[in-house]
Amino acid sequence: MNTLRRASQLFIFCFALAGAMQSVWDGVYTSEQGKRGQPLYNKYCASCHGEQLTGGEDSPPLTGGAFLANWNGLTVGDLFERIRISMPQNRPGRLTRQQNADILAYLLSANQFPAGEAELPAETERLKQIRFESTKKSE
Amino acid sequence: MHHLKTGALFALLAIACFGQPQRFKDSEWPTYGADLASTRYRPLDQINASNFSKLEVAWRFKTDSLGNRPEYKLEGTPLMVNGVVYTTAGSRRAAIALDAATGELLWMHGEREGARGAAAPRQLSGRGLAYWSDGKDERILYTTPGFRLIALDAKTGAPIPSFGKGGVVDLKLDDDQTIAPDLTTGEIGIQSAPVIAKDTVIIGAAFREGMTPKSRRNNKGYVRGFDVRTGKRLWIFHTIPMKGEVGYDTWLDGSAEYTGNTGVWTQISVDEQLGLVYLPVESPTGDYYGGHRPGANLFGESLVCVDLKTGQRKWHYQLVHHPLWDMDISSAPILADINVSGRAIKAVAQPTKQGFLYVFDRVTGVPVWPIEERPVEKGNVPGEWYSSTQPFPSKPPSYSRNGVTEDDLIDFTPAMRDQALTIISKYKIGPVFTPPVESKLDGPLATLTLGTASGGTNWPGGSYDPETHIVYAFACNACLTPIGLVKSPKDVSDMNYIAGTAGQEPRMRTGPGENAGADSPIPSRAPAPARGGGSGYVPLTVQGLPLIKPPYATISAINLDKGEIIWQVAHGETPDSIRNHSGLKGLDIPRTGQAGYSIGTLITKTLLIAGDSQVTTTNEHPRGAMLRAYDKATGKEVGTVLMPAPQSGSPMTYMLNGKQYIVVAVSGGPYSGEYIAFTLPSTDEHAETR
Repeated sequence: MNTLRRASQLFIFCFALAGAMQSVWDGVYTSEQGKRGQPLYNKYCASCHGEQLTGGEDSPPLTGGAFLANWNGLTVGDLFERIRISMPQNRPGRLTRQQNADILAYLLSANQFPAGEAELPAETERLKQIRFESTKKSE
Repeated sequence: MHHLKTGALFALLAIACFGQPQRFKDSEWPTYGADLASTRYRPLDQINASNFSKLEVAWRFKTDSLGNRPEYKLEGTPLMVNGVVYTTAGSRRAAIALDAATGELLWMHGEREGARGAAAPRQLSGRGLAYWSDGKDERILYTTPGFRLIALDAKTGAPIPSFGKGGVVDLKLDDDQTIAPDLTTGEIGIQSAPVIAKDTVIIGAAFREGMTPKSRRNNKGYVRGFDVRTGKRLWIFHTIPMKGEVGYDTWLDGSAEYTGNTGVWTQISVDEQLGLVYLPVESPTGDYYGGHRPGANLFGESLVCVDLKTGQRKWHYQLVHHPLWDMDISSAPILADINVSGRAIKAVAQPTKQGFLYVFDRVTGVPVWPIEERPVEKGNVPGEWYSSTQPFPSKPPSYSRNGVTEDDLIDFTPAMRDQALTIISKYKIGPVFTPPVESKLDGPLATLTLGTASGGTNWPGGSYDPETHIVYAFACNACLTPIGLVKSPKDVSDMNYIAGTAGQEPRMRTGPGENAGADSPIPSRAPAPARGGGSGYVPLTVQGLPLIKPPYATISAINLDKGEIIWQVAHGETPDSIRNHSGLKGLDIPRTGQAGYSIGTLITKTLLIAGDSQVTTTNEHPRGAMLRAYDKATGKEVGTVLMPAPQSGSPMTYMLNGKQYIVVAVSGGPYSGEYIAFTLPSTDEHAETR
């Protein structure tokens, strides 16, 4: 039991360490997850933010320069929390963490951040280890 | 002597009978627009070009707890009277009073409206409130999301028992119409601040976004005056005329009977001396399709002048006949005493989404410079009625783009311009008043428009300097709106056409002011796969950049004596996405400004002050949005202060205990609503102002 706990703590520590170096350019969601998120987005988000994420008359776009600038330098966890706390507007907190993570994966794919091998997690602390960078840092 | 006494007695009687205009100091900000002329001007100069960049936060007030969730769209302009700041805030739209020196909360009043609040078309914190005093009583009045007018004791926040019923007037009643379908869910509300003039509270009306109406029938947005002491209705103005009233015949086929909207959702201005009220009226039902309301549709998109005591119409001018472009008159009319060719004119200047500044003699309604009726293109959407002409002001020139031509397209590089030309080949383009089209997969998908739904000057309005006779106005110069129409399925709307794009499921479009309440049902229509061989979606960007070239937004200074633009600057830092774009490396791109429609301006003795609408991260400053000061005479930027989030409500200023403050609402993206007060560091005050 003790060993198991140690091992899991080590795993979390390693993941956090690795995660600290991650950004949205590192393939932090899977294309499968993005596809799962699209119908959820259409159902819960599109009536305000538009089917193409371009925003409405009075709702901000979720793609493009202003959106990217808004979150640049923050973390995917910050964006996740914004969604979790306040969206959908008519009933915040209605969606599960997994649904919110899937929608977030769809937002990342729509903003042309690359997909990868692992799914976007649904835990805020883990998501806070992924930096949101509007442009890819040159290698 | 005797005459003097009689005169004084008469004056007292007149005051007792009719009330007198409230007198406020230049150091206060007693009403939403600084004064009832909506100038957003205070002749203060402690904060000036030499010290603006040294401003520090005096206090900040986070609004998260004023409601059951944080709000990210704080749009209020606070008031300041007698050392107290009053404003609305939070997702509950609470009225609050703060110590103007420290920001300490003095009192808070919120209304829990249950299902009625949840169904309201315009929710969240609103744009502010109104202050009134007769020298003894002091009151704060505001409207709730559920459309009830609340009167509070300004000292305590307690409801005034003698006003309405227990301090509340139900605005869904006594409105010369039965609000359908019922008082709880009936669509009508307001988000603007009430205006109070000579003891009369004036309230307009707002509805949900009008691109996809649920029905051609809707409640009507009449304007009413109420007694500030009792809450009794004093008058009503029918923005859609009733049978027998002037303008009824501009609604053919009896369409005045069932058409709704046509409210006054933005700020109202008043000339207390003339006893005249200026109403900027919005679009009738169906922003982009008017086939169910044939005719010119008075008083849709008209500036209407009514009597302050009776609400009787004095004059009107329709800026857009048979509205089809969502050119709601969206901001406060600005009252300006000007001098044109040696002639003194009491004028009213109306900034607009379409970038025209319409200027009238505010007594007679006669245009100061001729407004010509010019022929415009008629469209071919089945069932639509088209006006053959539209009014074009001859002066001043338009201060923002209001049509789309190939010259407006992105031209950073020839390749980008070529891509833009390919994109617009799927759309109809043209000058102002180019009609909407029925969206077709093989084109046109829509009419591409600028200066419509979110273009030009929106709800924050302009500012005016009464000493120099200059109007200042922020305008979005690149807020591109594709206007396409699709046939509406009967289970979506009984309109023949609603806004939409070929190949996509027609769906209701909503905004943050709608369905935001805790009990609102979610939209039930599930998405459907694209029909007819693919989606009609074409991104209106080129390599992630805006299709339209800079400047994306401007601030203009317009001399009202001459009808001329005297300066114009791009407003807002160049966005990160442009500064860092790999395809633009090596190009020298002047400041582009930032597209947005919620920027208001503040004018002081020497400065124009306005914040950025977007966050940026540059070599000069960390992630944030700048509050900027310009020399109001030249447009030259003279100072900046970093804010944690974009300006989302228009700035105001006041003096207290020898210190000038600037208060601005910020919010957006990750940052929930906050009022921030700036002032100069105390130790430097004398050195800085010398």
